[in-house]
Amino acid sequence: MAQAFVQLDRLNKSYGPVSAVTDVSLELAKGESLTLLGPSGCGKTTTLRMVAGLEKPDAGAIRFDGKPVVSIADRINLPPEKRNIGMVFQSYAIWPHMTVAQNVAFPLRVRRVDAATIRERVRAALTMIGLGGLEDRPATRLSGGQQQRVALARALIHEPALLLLDEPLSNLDVKLREQMRVELKLLQARLGLTLIYVTHDQSEALSLSDRIAVLNRGRIEQIGTPRSLYEAPATPFVRDFLGKSVTLPGRVKSLAAGRAAVELVGDGNAVIECAVPPGLDLGADHEVEVSLRPEAIHLANGQSSALQGVVEAVLYQGERSECEVKIGASALCVYLPSGISAAPGDKIALAIEPNAARLWAKPGGAA
Amino acid sequence: MASTAPALQQQPGRAIDPQYAVFLVVLGIVGLFVLYPVLVILVDSFVVGPIGGARDWGLDGWRAAFTDPTMLRAVQNTAKVLLANESITLPSAVLLAWLLARTDLPLRGTFEFAFWITFFLPSLSVTLGWIVLLGPQNGLLNQIALALPFIGKAPFDIYSFWGIVWAHISTSSLAIKVMLLTPLFRNLDAAFEEAARCSGAGRWMTLTRIVIPAVAPGILTVLVLSLIRAMQTFEIEMVLGPPFNFWVFGTKIYVLVAQVPPEFASATALAVIGFVIITPLIALHRWLATRTDYTSITGRERSQPTPLGRWRWPIFCFIALLTLTITVLPVTFLVAASFMKLFGFFNIASPWTAAHWGAVLNDDFFSHSLMNTLMLAAGTALGAIVLCSLAAYFAVRSSYRGRNLLDFLSWLPFAIPGILLGVGLLYVFLGNPLLKLLYGSVALMILAMVIAGMTLGTQILKTTILQLGAALEEAARTCGASWWYGFRHIIVPILMPTLVLVGVINFIAASRDIASIALLSSNTSKTLSLLQLDYMVDGRWEDAAVVSVVVMLVTTGAAFLARLCGIRLGVRD
Repeated sequence: MAQAFVQLDRLNKSYGPVSAVTDVSLELAKGESLTLLGPSGCGKTTTLRMVAGLEKPDAGAIRFDGKPVVSIADRINLPPEKRNIGMVFQSYAIWPHMTVAQNVAFPLRVRRVDAATIRERVRAALTMIGLGGLEDRPATRLSGGQQQRVALARALIHEPALLLLDEPLSNLDVKLREQMRVELKLLQARLGLTLIYVTHDQSEALSLSDRIAVLNRGRIEQIGTPRSLYEAPATPFVRDFLGKSVTLPGRVKSLAAGRAAVELVGDGNAVIECAVPPGLDLGADHEVEVSLRPEAIHLANGQSSALQGVVEAVLYQGERSECEVKIGASALCVYLPSGISAAPGDKIALAIEPNAARLWAKPGGAA
Repeated sequence: MASTAPALQQQPGRAIDPQYAVFLVVLGIVGLFVLYPVLVILVDSFVVGPIGGARDWGLDGWRAAFTDPTMLRAVQNTAKVLLANESITLPSAVLLAWLLARTDLPLRGTFEFAFWITFFLPSLSVTLGWIVLLGPQNGLLNQIALALPFIGKAPFDIYSFWGIVWAHISTSSLAIKVMLLTPLFRNLDAAFEEAARCSGAGRWMTLTRIVIPAVAPGILTVLVLSLIRAMQTFEIEMVLGPPFNFWVFGTKIYVLVAQVPPEFASATALAVIGFVIITPLIALHRWLATRTDYTSITGRERSQPTPLGRWRWPIFCFIALLTLTITVLPVTFLVAASFMKLFGFFNIASPWTAAHWGAVLNDDFFSHSLMNTLMLAAGTALGAIVLCSLAAYFAVRSSYRGRNLLDFLSWLPFAIPGILLGVGLLYVFLGNPLLKLLYGSVALMILAMVIAGMTLGTQILKTTILQLGAALEEAARTCGASWWYGFRHIIVPILMPTLVLVGVINFIAASRDIASIALLSSNTSKTLSLLQLDYMVDGRWEDAAVVSVVVMLVTTGAAFLARLCGIRLGVRD
């Protein structure tokens, strides 16, 4: 097994009595892109800043290529400039007193690269990010998207071992954000960048990263590939944070061969079948929860096992409609294809994809 | 790719951080030259006996401070001047600042600059101008009034309580509030006003119910600042007070120190009382300032100015008249007086002469003093830029232990009456064999002025650094720049306009200062402002007027030069 290129080892950081990061450990292979995902205040930016050397952890160590850049036990703490990293800040931090070229050239100037090489590499970098010819433009006269590109070029020009991105797309409008997402992905693949990416935007995380670490209240909830996190969330937090899901309270009706039939609370006719996850000890009549992704719920075309519901609200979205459907005491979110229209009050029959429903212990109480 | 990347270097974590070293140097300098004088003052208040003679511990100074009725009256007088002054200038300044920042008042940028000029004018010069106009016997306005048939006796007397209050209003007390409040109103998010207007509130209601309450914390901050400053007032009372035996805190301390034999114990005891009053005010100000920095101010929004409608031109005329009255009028008559045979006597035959100008300008002493002034001012400007930028930076950005101490120390000079700072530094220098060599030199005076001006400069820079955000320099660090490299290539260039502004303010302050340097100068290091005071004490009013005009030219010249160089003295385009 190859040695991890970047290793975070039981990092802890608190601000006064508030614990921001607790026992965060993770590893990155060379060329891997990892996203730290979580709601604001979950410790993801603090973790990133500790990797950059902008914050000093209270305990723990970070190793690049096996060598510690910070290790509290060994009293090692390299300043940011000694870590050979590149970083893109949320605010871009484009220096207003410099031109585009001066901004991008800065890391090379610090490293005393000769002027001719600098000029050459700045031109190449600006061309790569699509800003060729804007060398002499004052940095203050750039649009948000252009600033973002300059920040990226500045973070990459010295070919850092590790690229850190702190919510780089959050200040862009939707269209630009989607475009930059694609460009970042292409760039990462082309340059073989090792990068850590911080975001609270789950679709950014899902589409950009090889692996995602979901953080909550300073701790890692789950690490894995985007697909494994989405399809097999380990905790209710990951389930609710990644993508849309509905959770319905129910009661176990019968158990057979690792599968359970769950009857929804308030509607004896609505029964959903799902696999019992390993480790969940169930008996008949236990109260449980069933979670569903909206894309796994379809209109039933005369199937007998259909759930009967009533449309409560319809949110038209263009390519589809989001439909709030009441089943017994519970409400479901259903995506209707654009060709089908529904109105509040309509009766509707729904079918659930086999193996799409997931079973959870009822929170707070014994199952 | 890894082949081109330099190897990650290992570095022992215990090596002394250069940033921390600079921090310690700054803290050390400020501690030595701020805290030490203060301690000297404190200790000295418990010492009796003349300097150089037999000295012993004793409470005579404190006894005098609490029992001598003239001391008590001096504190009362300070409070009375303050109350009268503030109750006039604060409401006026709030209204003026709003008019300059948020309305379509014609020439509002020019007016704002006019208030800056007012602030930069040496108060001694302006006071001299007012003596010409409002002197009880020969004051020109009195002469004019007496010429009217229905007025029997001279209506104005500058040598009075209200004369002193008026001199304060006309020199800096109104101007500084307008200067500080105008940006506050300007930075207020326009959406607040627009939301009020959309909710159906009229202009006046929007102003009084929304805008003023929104900037109220800022207004309070400015008021507290004025209270602190009030303990420092000196020159105006020094010129206008003694003729009617009116003493305030600052002048009382001055006479106690300057009289023969000096009463240091009483003076320092009085100063300690001043500290006790001021320290909680500083704490309050700091608390207010940290609370207000980000609550109401978002900065970005630019709104349409509120139209004043039919009030536009009447208000314009009123403000034009006001700025002309408080600035142009006294300055004009000061200049006129410098060309008079007899200061203020307009009714003698052929009153005009250039003789005083000729005499003063040809005096070697004058040219020497001019050189000293320029050296002092330039040195102070440079010193203040270096010290204030580092102090402000560390106060805002660092997390070192001692950071709060540095921040507090940067406030202390504001609370020390200049004359006492001078006394304190005198002790520090005379007590150290190396520093003693500097006694009487311009270098020592530069140090005193840098310390005296430290608070304002540091505060201005702190605000700017706070607004910059940390990411700009963090980006430099992650690009591979050391802290010092980043400070020089990122922070300093971005701060440059503010640094120049701090330099200009300190240049001006030093070129007109009297209180802080009066005790530190020798005959060879005398400045123009001290020369001017000497002339006034000697009764050479005409020569004093000439020097006064020159000091004024130096200060306003610096202000105009700065504006020409594109430095925003409060005015934004």
